[in-house]
Amino acid sequence: MTETLGSGAILAIMFGGLVLFMATGLPIAFVLGGLSLLITVTLWNADAVVVLVLQIFDTMRSEALLAIPLYILMAGLLSRSGIINNLYRAMELWFGRLRGGLAVGTVVICVIMAAMTGVVGAAVTAMGLLALPEMLRRGYRAELATGTICAAGTLGILIPPSVLTIVYAVTAQVSIGRMLIAGIVPGVILAGLYILYIVVLSWLRPEAAPLAEDHRTASWRERFAALGSLVLPALLIVMILGSIFFGLATPTEAAAVGVLGAALAAALERRLTFEALSASAIETTKATAMILWITLGAKAYVAIFTGLGGADALLDFIRTLDAGPYLVLGVMLAVLVFLGMVLDEIGIILLTVPVFIPIVRFLGFDELWFGVLYAVTIQMGYISPPFGYTLFYMKGTLPPELGMGVVYRGILPFFLLQLLGLLLLLAVPGLATWLPTLMLR
Amino acid sequence: MPFVRAITGLNRLAFLASAALLYAIAPAMLIDVVCRYLFDSPTVWASELALLLFGPMFLLSGPYVLHLKGHVAMDVVRRALPARVERLVELLNFPVIAAFCVILLWYATPLAFESWQYRETSFSAWNPQIWWTKAAVPLALFLLLLQTVAEFLRTLIEGPAPAERVVTPSGEASR
Repeated sequence: MTETLGSGAILAIMFGGLVLFMATGLPIAFVLGGLSLLITVTLWNADAVVVLVLQIFDTMRSEALLAIPLYILMAGLLSRSGIINNLYRAMELWFGRLRGGLAVGTVVICVIMAAMTGVVGAAVTAMGLLALPEMLRRGYRAELATGTICAAGTLGILIPPSVLTIVYAVTAQVSIGRMLIAGIVPGVILAGLYILYIVVLSWLRPEAAPLAEDHRTASWRERFAALGSLVLPALLIVMILGSIFFGLATPTEAAAVGVLGAALAAALERRLTFEALSASAIETTKATAMILWITLGAKAYVAIFTGLGGADALLDFIRTLDAGPYLVLGVMLAVLVFLGMVLDEIGIILLTVPVFIPIVRFLGFDELWFGVLYAVTIQMGYISPPFGYTLFYMKGTLPPELGMGVVYRGILPFFLLQLLGLLLLLAVPGLATWLPTLMLR
Repeated sequence: MPFVRAITGLNRLAFLASAALLYAIAPAMLIDVVCRYLFDSPTVWASELALLLFGPMFLLSGPYVLHLKGHVAMDVVRRALPARVERLVELLNFPVIAAFCVILLWYATPLAFESWQYRETSFSAWNPQIWWTKAAVPLALFLLLLQTVAEFLRTLIEGPAPAERVVTPSGEASR
C-alpha cells in the first residue's frame, strides 16, 4: 500500500478507469487486465503481479472451464448435422394442425436444442431460417413469430448444459453439477409460460396465428415415423443430464461424450465433412479465447478489488444500510438487468459474482437459487434492445420486408413473461433448489 | 506492410493450430471416460493431457482473435464519435493492450523460465513435464504484443477497421 493514496482512492480510480476505458471500446478483457496491472504496478504493490501470473496458471488447469470449449464444439457440430431440420419436420407433422401450433412447436424444439447444446445462437438461427418463413407464410403475426423464436431460443442459458451457468458456478465456487440441474425446473416453467401465452393468444385472437387452408392432415404412420428424429437428441440429453444428475461423470466428461454424440449425429446424416469439423473448431476456438481471456482479466481485476478491501467495504456498507434482504436482492437484480443492457454477459458474471456472492451468503440466501435468478435476468438482457445477442441472431434471418421494430414489439410480451417467471422464482425458491437436493452427490 | 502481414499470418497459424488442438483435447477426454466408465480401468494420462493442452489452446489463439475483433468490446460510444476522433481513440487503445502484455511478460517470463530450468513436472501418477504449458503464457503475451503493434500500424495507415464482428458464447459471429 502506498503512503500517498488510500485504498479508497485506488478503488475509485479502478471504478472510474473501468467506465472510461470501457467507453473507448477497448476489448473488455484488456480493460480489466490492463487496468488491474497498471494500478498494481503504479499505485499498489508491484510484486502482487506475481500472484496474478499464478492465477493464470490456475485458470489453465481448471477442469471445469475445459467444459466450455467442449460444449461449444458439440453445439457447432450439432448445428451442422441437419438434426434440427429433422426435428422441425417432425414438429410440423405433430403440431401443424393446432391453432398456434407452429409457435408452440418452435418452443418445444428450442427446449430440446437447449437441453442438447446450451448455447443460444444455434437455436435462434435455425428457427429463424426454418420456422419463421413458414409461420409468416401461414399469416402468423410477425411479432408473435419473432418474439417466440427469440424468447424460446434464449432458454439455452437456463436449461443445462449451459456455458454461462458453468462460468457462474466456477466463479461463485458452487458445484457445477448442482447448478446445472437447478436450471431444469425453472427452464421448463418458462417454456410452459411461453406455450400457455401462445395457446391463449391464438384462442383469443385467431387471426394472430391462423391455420393453413392448404394444410393436409398427416397420417399417424407418417407422424410416428418422424419421431425417429427424436431418438438421437433424446439419447444425448439423457446421457448428459443423466450422468450429471446421478453424479456418474463430471460435466466436462459428459461434454466429451456429447462431442462424440454430435459427431455421430452428423456422420449419420453424412454431414461430418472436413468443412463441418474445421468450421466448428474455428468458431469454438474464437469463442473460447474470447471467454477465457476475459476470465483472466476479470480474475486480476477482482483480485485487486478484494485485495484492496473493496468487497469488505461493500459488505460493511450493506450492513449499515439495515435494509431488508429482499430489497438488497432486488437492487442486485436491477443492477444485473441494467448491466445486461450495456455489457457482455460473461463479463457481467465474472465481475459481479465475486462481489455479489458474499452479500448473498451474508443475507442467508441460497447460492444455487441466486444462480438461477442470475440466469433468468441474463435471459432478459439477451432479448432486450438494443444490445441483446439474440436480437442480432434474429436480425440475420429476418426477411427484408421486416424491420427490427417488429422484433422489438414481439419481444415485449415474452420479456414480461420472463419477469413473471423471475417473480415466481423469487416467491418460491424451491422451484430452483428442489431438484438438486435429489442428486446423489 | 510486410510486417503487419507477417505478424498476422504467424498468429493465424497459432490460431489454427489451437483450433486443431480441439481434436486432440476432445478425444483424450473421451478416451478417459471410455476407459473409466466402460472398462473400469481409468487411464493415468488421458484427462490430464486434455487439461494440459487446454491452457496453450486458449492462450495462443488470443492474439489472432484480437485481429478478428473477436474480443468483445462495448463500442457504442466510440461508434457515435466523429470518424477522426474515433480513429484517435482506437489508436490510444492499443498502448493499453501493449502495457498489459509488457507488464505481464516482465513477471511471467522469469516464472516460466524457472519452470523450464527445473523441468517441472505435475507430480501426478503420470507425472509429465509441464514447463511447456507455463511457457505458453509468455509466448502468447509476446505474440499478442506483436499483433497489437501490427493492429496499431494498420489503423494508423488505413484508418479504423471495417465492420465490427461480435463473437458470443455460442461461438458465432454476428452483427
